[in-house]
Amino acid sequence: MLPFIKEAVTGLFSKPSTEAYPFKPVDAPAGYRGRIVFHADQCISCGMCERVCAGGAISTRSEETEEGTLITRRFFLGSCTFCGHCAAFCVKHAIELSPDYHMVARTEEELVVEGTYLKKKPAKKAEAAACGNAVEGESSVKPREDGLPVNDPAKCVYCTLCAKKCPAGALTVDRKEKTWVLDEDKCVACGTCAGICPKKAIIM
Amino acid sequence: MFKKLIDNSAAKSPWLFHINAGSCNGCDIELVALLTPRYDVERLGFKLAGTPRHADIVVVTGPVTAQSKDRVLRTIAQVPDPKVIVTLGSCPRSCNVFRGSYSVVGPLDKYVPIDVSIAGCTPKPEAIIDGLALATQILKEKRGAK
Repeated sequence: MLPFIKEAVTGLFSKPSTEAYPFKPVDAPAGYRGRIVFHADQCISCGMCERVCAGGAISTRSEETEEGTLITRRFFLGSCTFCGHCAAFCVKHAIELSPDYHMVARTEEELVVEGTYLKKKPAKKAEAAACGNAVEGESSVKPREDGLPVNDPAKCVYCTLCAKKCPAGALTVDRKEKTWVLDEDKCVACGTCAGICPKKAIIM
Repeated sequence: MFKKLIDNSAAKSPWLFHINAGSCNGCDIELVALLTPRYDVERLGFKLAGTPRHADIVVVTGPVTAQSKDRVLRTIAQVPDPKVIVTLGSCPRSCNVFRGSYSVVGPLDKYVPIDVSIAGCTPKPEAIIDGLALATQILKEKRGAK
């Protein structure tokens, strides 16, 4: 009997364990994956996020304009599992999962996160230069006889994913200079770069 | 005589009915977590009803499976009007990762209009409280319109 009286008296004077939520705001813990934030200006339209999305929450639509292609990426939070795969696979870190958890909506449109950016048409000179230094002595995009990878500069978006995934470190991709260089001595012809390429620009 | 008093009291204490339409149980656990001492939604007037005929707000979880579809619709039809239908989590809104499965016939808005959707997989209990607060507001609007 006595221990319970002690418990009851301490309970009377201690703080209630109930959170006063609607009256006192609560922050999500560190690392919580909530509402998606899309930095459209950093996106290079490689399409990796769309491919890894389990819930099929990500879609893209494009519109041709005079200056280039206007690309809109749409994230539907009502179909999202907040797994964070899209953010993890994004090479340019354009997708971020914020700790904002207040995702309550009356209509479907309120659950949509969108971002639009302009993909400029390549200047003709730059395109020609990119073709020239793609692979030494390789102007066409036919597969090589020795089984090493070949890059198609017309398809390549220089996302550097292949260089990051190359187990032998044989690829050097420069996004600014738009170059894709293969170190033939290091390459083991494993095919990882061709498998990971979001634009299927690498041919084995 | 007491009608006004009863109406005012009922507006402040909406009763919930929870339907599991083939959910993975994640959202169900979070909804039950709301009734624990830590979140305690009963202090805000919400109460889980034992039968749909007593409920004001219907909370649906899960992507509506072929087996559960008829039961879900029958249960929702038993809730007296005006009612508010709340979808908890991504599944009833879009079927989420279960879309395209042979046994899933959802999403729920194919069959009944959804009033409030709470996104998240699963939503944080605080987000569910927000959603229920919005549902109460909608219920009040619907009762006023009636």
